[in-house]
Amino acid sequence: MNKEFSVVGTKVIREDGVDKVTGHAKFADDYKFDGMLHSVMLRISEAHAKINSIDFSEIENNQSLFSIITSADIPGAKKVGMIKNDQPIFCDEKVVTPGDVLAMLVGESEYELRTLLKKIKVDYTPLPILNDPKKSLDKDAILIHPETGTNLICHHPLRKGDLEKGFAESDDILEQTYTTQLIEHGYIEPEAVIAIPLGSSQGVKVIGSIQNPFTTRRFVANVLDLPLSKVRIVQAHLGGSFGGKDDTMCVLSARAAVAAMKTNRPVKIRYTREESILESYKRHPYILNYKIGYAKNGKIKAMKIDILADGGAYVSMSPFVTWRTVVQATGPYEIENVHTDVRAVYTNNPYTGAMRGFGSPQPIFAQESLMDEIAARLHITPDEIRRINGLKVGSITATGQTLKDHEVNLVRVLDVACGNTDFITKWKKNKNEKTHIAALDFKSPVLKESQFIKPGNLIKKGIGLAVSFRGCSLGAEGVDAASAYLSIQNDGSVYLDCGLAENGQGLRTTYSIIASEVLGITTDKIIYLELDTGITSDGGPTVASRGTIMGGGAVKKAAEILLERLEKFVKDEFKLGEDDFVSFRENLVFSRRKGLISKFPEVCKLAFLKGVSLASIGWYKSPNVHWDEKFGQGDAYFTYVYGCQVAEVSVNIATGEVYIDKVTAVHDPGKVINRLGAEGQVYGGVTQGAGYGIFEEVTTDKGFIRELNFDTYTIPTSKDIDEIKPIFIEGKDSYGPWGGKSLGEPTLELTAAAISNAVSNALGKRFFNLPLNLEEVLLSKKLRPADTKRGSLL
Amino acid sequence: MMPSLEIITPKNLNDALNLLSSKEKDIHIIAGGTDVVPGLNQESNRFKDIRLLIDINRIAEVKGIKTDKEKISIGAAETFSDVLQNETIEKKFPLLWKAVSTIGSVQIRNRATIAGNFVNNAPCADTVPVLLVYNATIEIESQSSKREIGLNDFLSAPYKTKLNADEIVTRINIPIPSNEFAGDFYKLGRRRAVAISRITLALLMKSNDRIIDEIRIASGAVTPIGTRFFDLEKFAKGKKADDEFMKELSGKLGEQIIQVTGLRWSSEYKLPVVQQMFYQLLKGIER
Amino acid sequence: MIEIKFILNKKHVSAKIESNIRLIDLLRDKFNLTGTKEGCGVGECGACTVLMNGRAVNSCLVLAAQADESDIVTIEGISNGDVLNPLQKNFLSHGAVQCGFCTPGMVLSASALLDQNPNPSEEEIKESIAGNLCRCTGYKQIIDAVKETAKELNQK
Ligand code: FES
Ligand code: FES
Repeated sequence: MNKEFSVVGTKVIREDGVDKVTGHAKFADDYKFDGMLHSVMLRISEAHAKINSIDFSEIENNQSLFSIITSADIPGAKKVGMIKNDQPIFCDEKVVTPGDVLAMLVGESEYELRTLLKKIKVDYTPLPILNDPKKSLDKDAILIHPETGTNLICHHPLRKGDLEKGFAESDDILEQTYTTQLIEHGYIEPEAVIAIPLGSSQGVKVIGSIQNPFTTRRFVANVLDLPLSKVRIVQAHLGGSFGGKDDTMCVLSARAAVAAMKTNRPVKIRYTREESILESYKRHPYILNYKIGYAKNGKIKAMKIDILADGGAYVSMSPFVTWRTVVQATGPYEIENVHTDVRAVYTNNPYTGAMRGFGSPQPIFAQESLMDEIAARLHITPDEIRRINGLKVGSITATGQTLKDHEVNLVRVLDVACGNTDFITKWKKNKNEKTHIAALDFKSPVLKESQFIKPGNLIKKGIGLAVSFRGCSLGAEGVDAASAYLSIQNDGSVYLDCGLAENGQGLRTTYSIIASEVLGITTDKIIYLELDTGITSDGGPTVASRGTIMGGGAVKKAAEILLERLEKFVKDEFKLGEDDFVSFRENLVFSRRKGLISKFPEVCKLAFLKGVSLASIGWYKSPNVHWDEKFGQGDAYFTYVYGCQVAEVSVNIATGEVYIDKVTAVHDPGKVINRLGAEGQVYGGVTQGAGYGIFEEVTTDKGFIRELNFDTYTIPTSKDIDEIKPIFIEGKDSYGPWGGKSLGEPTLELTAAAISNAVSNALGKRFFNLPLNLEEVLLSKKLRPADTKRGSLL
Repeated sequence: MMPSLEIITPKNLNDALNLLSSKEKDIHIIAGGTDVVPGLNQESNRFKDIRLLIDINRIAEVKGIKTDKEKISIGAAETFSDVLQNETIEKKFPLLWKAVSTIGSVQIRNRATIAGNFVNNAPCADTVPVLLVYNATIEIESQSSKREIGLNDFLSAPYKTKLNADEIVTRINIPIPSNEFAGDFYKLGRRRAVAISRITLALLMKSNDRIIDEIRIASGAVTPIGTRFFDLEKFAKGKKADDEFMKELSGKLGEQIIQVTGLRWSSEYKLPVVQQMFYQLLKGIER
Repeated sequence: MIEIKFILNKKHVSAKIESNIRLIDLLRDKFNLTGTKEGCGVGECGACTVLMNGRAVNSCLVLAAQADESDIVTIEGISNGDVLNPLQKNFLSHGAVQCGFCTPGMVLSASALLDQNPNPSEEEIKESIAGNLCRCTGYKQIIDAVKETAKELNQK
């Protein structure tokens, strides 16, 4: 264990843990209020339709109905959005995707309300449906939002060097197309929110499963046309989010708030799993085309990348998600000539937005597959090709950024991962074991004698790796700053508050560790205040793995301000010499000369009596980054993290089943602050990444989702992965608390790519389409039922 | 959200049968509830007319596992967990034990019942192929009659059985196969646990000096309902179970499945896999 | 309306209920035991797991009426007052809790396992929680917590 630290890097029990293991922790749906009404949503079974009229006459006088909430009840903005206001709170003019909600009924009983839904008559005209993003930009494509004049959501170009020259200098050119699938966040807690009217002078209070309370506040205030100060958002314990409880929760909060203001009663919305999957946004499916030129010695000379993202029916976070893609699309390789275009387009499919990984898992799958393919063509090992091209200190990235002032650990994580798994030996051995997947001919489906597999040959082993670099925090997406508030009470206990919201990952625990480390007190002295936008200052969103580096940075600053004040006070109070030195450890106060002089609570009490302020606000702002939109050039992020994952798999060559024997995850999160939390991030991220790699997929038919619950949308269980081994390379970085950077997303983004390379190593054939489900592994294609009827997936 | 309905928990079979014969259409039996409760809650069409549930869990006649020399008799409302805890089943009916252990999760197995698995005749019911190769029979009672029919006859068409509205399945009887039988059960799902079956296969075989004396073959999830392949069994009888024949038989199983099922969206995947895995089953019991 | 009597967290209780409510609704709405969570409503996620006569069941798949005369334990009944159950303690010390939404169900599934099988193998532990989905932890720390608890119980 590191001697410099007493709390940082140790295993600290999370501050909300006891409440969570005893069932006392309150999640949004656990809140009840007197007079609370429930609500149900009105939808139609169409992905694209013009709404002519909605006739409520049959239910208007029904006793079970308290009120009908429509867009006519909205005093402010009727459309909202993270970046662009294109998403109606109530779609009473047009629906553009099956999740769209036309109106909402509120009343005492959810069940009664549901029966009323069937009696509402909606008159609508179906419109042609656009489901294929490749057709979105066709001249004759129907426009999803005609007022925008195009289905193009955004286009990020990047131009570096001279592409022609690069290809001309290449000895070989390889071009491949990859696709990745639509997936669901799969947080186990479905959405829930309650809005409580506080009277005209106070506005409204909203409690919910909300990822980013400040974003939600902005939405709700806009919709209600209230000043921000009259909207208070309180975050309930959040049952998982992974980027997924942002837009959806903003919209739900706004609906609940409109209803609460209209009815003057608390109004709860809670979703079933089916509604959650139906309406919430998902991860973008990508179509990625890569053309890559390289020399005989393995050096990549040029890369031309064309990426199309299906944004679905609304803009949401697509411009930012795809921006990260354009920055990282080449992978962590130094390439002189790069030409990238990333576009996101509208379709009538479920809309897509932020999800852990945020525009990186898709290009990593493509670029890491390509690297393996090039290595195979050059008869070198996968690690060699990456060593030849990998980023090092002083390298220039595709965006023209020179990597300096942080440890560029790419080759190091690669070395550690390979060394730890005996990668090269295993890779060669698997490769040399001849595998025979029988070519199947569907015209004569009966197997020939030679196609049957000997029982002993059923399982093939494979090993594969993937590497990545990832820009920390928001980058040139936006202004990046966070604040934290610390206040020491006169008994030495401490209130801590930070504007970055806990999402379940243990952010608060990390912050408590940081404060306790600086102040030399134990973590149990620190009380974390619940996030209430009425009290806490805005810390920016909990996204982009910025919790530790940004919020942690702010907490450390706040604590350091107080420490300095206390040191000075102690010196004066205890009449210590100028050259003496005060230190705080484990709730005790020491002087270098006199040894133990007091206890933390006593010092705090004295300070209080002497009128010393023991409250502080810490502010952490990221260094400036800059970006040229036209050429995609600039210092995109102020620092980066590097990771390498090695996947070891067993593939059943008769069925196409992939079993994950082991994933070794090597990451350089800077300094590990919260060890249990960091390990948990790796286990959780790898498991999600594995699901993405081998079976998770939301399939749609004309925009309608087949997998509306966990019976068909399969996420990994306790039995699907045998072993995950986290290895941390702790480096020094000038940013973040003691150099603590990012971890949450890097853990997820590599796994699918590593698995795909491992399966290729086992079978000797490449894969171009995620997920590597049974059909993909065996037949290299996806099979789909013709409709979306329940049970159709058998 | 559940429709409003009534629930009655009779203490004996007679009361239950009385109820069934008095009222009609809108009654449904519930035992484990793992199918009925979510079905009702999601307002599934299958249950939309139900107004009365009869909970048979307290009825002694449909509980308990009884064994004698020739057969085992499992109460219709025995849970899968009960089945797994029964030693006779583990020893004498290893295929059944294996099939049951792959169903759902511990929580599901603690509630779901053996008869509940097949009374709605869903194609993916995991115990069906196994019960078919064990030649299971079903005891059925109404107020006026009592009958016993083979499971194979009971299952008539997808989501349809020979059960009349006034009847209850009370017991499943399975003859104990002679020790000469070897066999195995195979299930393929999309993940390792709690998976809907994509393919199930059951195989029992008795051979003498590699000459097949009797073979029983059944499948689930690849056929519209769980299906015994009698023609194939006849074809195999008396043949020598060498590698070549095993391959031939596996190919023939593929042909049969196409005959029964036709080609579906999933056939391109399932057909070759069924043949491969059936071959693996045959090879597995050979050793 | 029907009346049911049962034991809830070691106390005899009774309730007048509609016959169409589920056990989870009864626990959450009537008894305010909101530690039992609903994640899917179809028996797939295990967030609603409670013990019924000592066995883990999905309370979203059981009708409240079926709880009549049974013994139900929820997460609120698993600790001894303020003293945490060893499983709960080990969940904390092993980092087995992140968002915590799956935690009550996980603890109950694990507790049912240890009651029946005080010395489970890793495979048995995995099997016992295979019906409890967790999206945050990747299960590893949960499995370790259960293992450790079994070890402690066996040392006693
Ligand atoms: S809510 Fe009961 S299993 Fe998911
Ligand atoms: S801790 Fe979040 S689902 Fe398990």
